[in-house]
Amino acid sequence: MNNNVGNTFFKIISAVIAFTCSLLLIAVLFFMLRESLPVWQMTRPLAFLSGTDWSPIYPPIQLGIGSMLASTLWVAFGALIIAIPLALACAIFLAEYAPQWLAQLLRPALTVLTGIPSVVYGFLGAAVLVKFFEIKFQVSSGESLFAASIVLAFMVLPYIVVNSESAIRAVPPEYKLSALAVGVSKPYVTMKVIVPLAKKGVLGSIALAFGRAAGETMAVLMIAGNVLRFPESWFSRGEPLSALIALEIGSAVPHSLHYQALFAVGLVLILVVTIINILINYLVNNNEMPRY
Amino acid sequence: MNKVIDSFLIIIFWGSGLFLLLSLISLIAYLIVQGGSALSLDFLRLSPAGSPLGTEGGILPAIRGTLHLILIALTVAIIPALFTGIYLTEYAQPSFLLNTMEVLIQSMAGVPSIITGLFVYAWGVVQLGWGISLLAGGIALGIMIFPVMVISIRDCLRAVDSDYRLAGAALGVSPAYMLWRIILPQSWRAIISSILLAMGYAAGATAPIMVTAAAISSPTSGNLLEPVMALPYHLYILFNEHISLDNAYATALLLVIMLLILNSAALALTHNGTKSRR
Repeated sequence: MNNNVGNTFFKIISAVIAFTCSLLLIAVLFFMLRESLPVWQMTRPLAFLSGTDWSPIYPPIQLGIGSMLASTLWVAFGALIIAIPLALACAIFLAEYAPQWLAQLLRPALTVLTGIPSVVYGFLGAAVLVKFFEIKFQVSSGESLFAASIVLAFMVLPYIVVNSESAIRAVPPEYKLSALAVGVSKPYVTMKVIVPLAKKGVLGSIALAFGRAAGETMAVLMIAGNVLRFPESWFSRGEPLSALIALEIGSAVPHSLHYQALFAVGLVLILVVTIINILINYLVNNNEMPRY
Repeated sequence: MNKVIDSFLIIIFWGSGLFLLLSLISLIAYLIVQGGSALSLDFLRLSPAGSPLGTEGGILPAIRGTLHLILIALTVAIIPALFTGIYLTEYAQPSFLLNTMEVLIQSMAGVPSIITGLFVYAWGVVQLGWGISLLAGGIALGIMIFPVMVISIRDCLRAVDSDYRLAGAALGVSPAYMLWRIILPQSWRAIISSILLAMGYAAGATAPIMVTAAAISSPTSGNLLEPVMALPYHLYILFNEHISLDNAYATALLLVIMLLILNSAALALTHNGTKSRR
């Protein structure tokens, strides 16, 4: 009987802890909303998102994050454009073509690539890639959203590879076997049968990578150029939302309008990323998550 | 489809796989070449010196700060993550509530780390009055690694062969007994290895500590309410303030070496175990 009591007790304890901890996301959302409330009473959300003037301290006070939002989107979509072809080819390679020994080298390599701190990626990007652009194109500053996209592409690549590979592996072998039995070549089967069947999982992995890229801070902070101007192209400099928060929160007086506006930025960022994450969850409807 | 396209595709597949492997190797090799000479014993043993601070001397306080931060993050995260992981796999019945909890935890894992930092800034640093401190940074890192640890612990537990659970249930064994005597003995290696990976994640995270804990210079004595130096933030400052490129390379190399050690340990644990996870 004593054992039974212990068992029930353990079950209740774990249920309470699990339930409480699940509410963490709600708590974070609540804090972002609470701290930014005066901003929403002052500006309409649409004006906040689309305005391109950011002057939270000196009058005329203007709270528009359009420039930073555009930078975030440029950087994140740019990273995806660069990463997707390479990542998909690599996922297909791992799932279908790589010999055992090479796959056993590549998998830990992918884990290491996801584990390398973003500040190291940012540092290498700034010290090597940005310098290279400066010398190659004879410009005074090689920092750009494009350079940030390249570095971010490397950072999200392993996530896409790992999740797409498991999506490709999840395709029942019967499809492949019967397609091969018809006599078409293996690359044909891969491209025309297997990849289309794994589409959902692959899309999920891409959406996840977008969330990562949009929220990444250190690499964009060090490479994108930190200019509060509307980025006209992929090759201009900019300051994504995450970099704006990281750069300004330390100097914002608590509970000043500046401070509140930065929490409003945080709210926008977390909403964008979380909505995407929840959508993926319904889209893919299985519980694959990246291993970092 | 014709042969040319086939062989072209195969070249692309092989090429991309090899490219990824080569880029990791060249990244590490480049760091060794650039940072190897500055990464000496003295660099690990001394405090930053020179003017501006960091041009000479070493990074001892930053190493200490990073270790303190990891320690606090693990203290904060391990117990709740274990209980949550165990609840999700061993106790909860499939239901709307369970599904919602999983979605919330997975979305939490996807929250940008700067937001986690911002949350702890509003709650710990400002509202509870901790100020920029080791405590706030450790908790921010703990919150950051918690959902990731839950997910990997859950997957480790789920990977245990379900025959054992069925056999146990058929024999009328209590869930707690099952857990301690059957499930955990088979999955502890994988769980420890996922904790090691989470440590690496916490060690390298910069954004959350940048807003909650980090200082350019601090004795980093271990006082909970004092700002700390930390390796990733130190690297950022060394490079961004143009203090010392050599020391920045050495610091980056040290971070990557730490990561490689943690990763190898994690790999060794799961591969040498009698029951490996995959």
